[in-house]
Amino acid sequence: MKGQYHVIVQNNRVKYEFDIRRNITIIKGDSATGKTTLVSLIETYDRLGSDSGIEVVCTRRCLTVNNSNWEAVLDRSSDSIVFIDEENTIIKSKDFAKKIQGTSNYYVIVTRENLPNLPYSVEEIYGIHNSGRYSDLRKTYNSFYRLYGSPFSGYDRKVQKIIAEDSNAGYEFFKSAACTDINVFSAGGKTKIRRMLVEDPDSTVLIIADGAAFGSEISEIYMFMRSHSGVHLYLPESFEWILLSSGLIDGNRIKEILEKTEDYVDSSQYFSWEQFYTKLLVEETKNTYLQYSKSKLNIVYLDNRQKTAILHVFHIIWEMMGIS
Amino acid sequence: MLRIVFGDTQNAIYHPPTYFDNTYLDEWITDPRTIEMVKDVDQSEVISARAIDSPFLGSISVKELSGGVKTLILMLFDDSGKIFNASACGDNCAKWIVQIASEKDLTINLHHIMDFSTCNGFSAYIVNTGRYVGSFIEYLDEAFRIEER
Repeated sequence: MKGQYHVIVQNNRVKYEFDIRRNITIIKGDSATGKTTLVSLIETYDRLGSDSGIEVVCTRRCLTVNNSNWEAVLDRSSDSIVFIDEENTIIKSKDFAKKIQGTSNYYVIVTRENLPNLPYSVEEIYGIHNSGRYSDLRKTYNSFYRLYGSPFSGYDRKVQKIIAEDSNAGYEFFKSAACTDINVFSAGGKTKIRRMLVEDPDSTVLIIADGAAFGSEISEIYMFMRSHSGVHLYLPESFEWILLSSGLIDGNRIKEILEKTEDYVDSSQYFSWEQFYTKLLVEETKNTYLQYSKSKLNIVYLDNRQKTAILHVFHIIWEMMGIS
Repeated sequence: MLRIVFGDTQNAIYHPPTYFDNTYLDEWITDPRTIEMVKDVDQSEVISARAIDSPFLGSISVKELSGGVKTLILMLFDDSGKIFNASACGDNCAKWIVQIASEKDLTINLHHIMDFSTCNGFSAYIVNTGRYVGSFIEYLDEAFRIEER
């Protein structure tokens, strides 16, 4: 399934209205904001239809799964939006991650837990906001708001240390780009960043990670940043997204894809946008001087012209990286 | 005293709201502390042991209280020895957990790092590491060293 979907769910008391645009969306936040009520309305509507008194408006079927029926339901559903409430432990399992990877559905999961088996974006983690009452005074309107939209702090001094989530091409590029007196480390995976932070809490540090799949880590890192003012975060979609955004490769067509990525990513083929950007970059540069490999950086990207174009994509962190 | 266990542990109830629905007693609901928690977290009024007035949902049953409030009520009254998963509670329940733990020994289970940063005088015993933390920052640093969630 591709694309963005507008969803309206309502009865005579509450109305929810939101958009879903990637294969995995997370809903979390304070108690009593209506998360369970939303999933319950969708479950009842899917079972009883309009006889329930509930209205669900969406061009795709909205349904729910639980601990006992999820495999059977997923086997017979496709191109649907699947909602899962927080009581269901399946969302933490590797079996669940493996199962949904091959489906064409989108998934909306209610949980406060980190789900490192699932590559969800920091941009698709939402709370539910009560927007008040409008034309119908009996009804409460609820919409989604992004919890971690822009955690970049705007710090304008050189940091002592850079932690790159990436261990291959991205790490090589950032190490090459950073001022030589900054220590650049590879975390070797997103879940290892926490320990690196806590082992050296007094350094000023810039974390560079793939926003497209960093969702499981963001809430805890964000909390740590609030109490450790020296920790800063830069979250491009991925290193491959940076290269694609540099204008080095077929500018206009690639720009269009980057602006409306949801219209190009088939959820049954790509578990995250990060995977899509990597495949796109590999295909677009195949048999050219810019031929890209994730495992080792093609040194042509470090040549002056290419490097300058790439650096301009993340100019907002130049000062932290000591780039003048 | 608040004791925190991160990750799976014995005798834990993963989804306290369901456990609550099947075990709660009427007198828990009309207790003044419950009335106050329902007012603060759910912005609702306890009308009687079997009726709640919600500004969002209208007249509702006790079973339609939020999962967070149900979990808090269990922490306050349940004496079965079960350990309740506080990850069913939003951060707006954190101050109530700290308050309940100031009145009794309370062990909670967490599958995420709950934000206690707004709770004055926060301290806890972290069961996984056997260490006491005397502030939110100490708690956060300790939780970051623990792999279990």
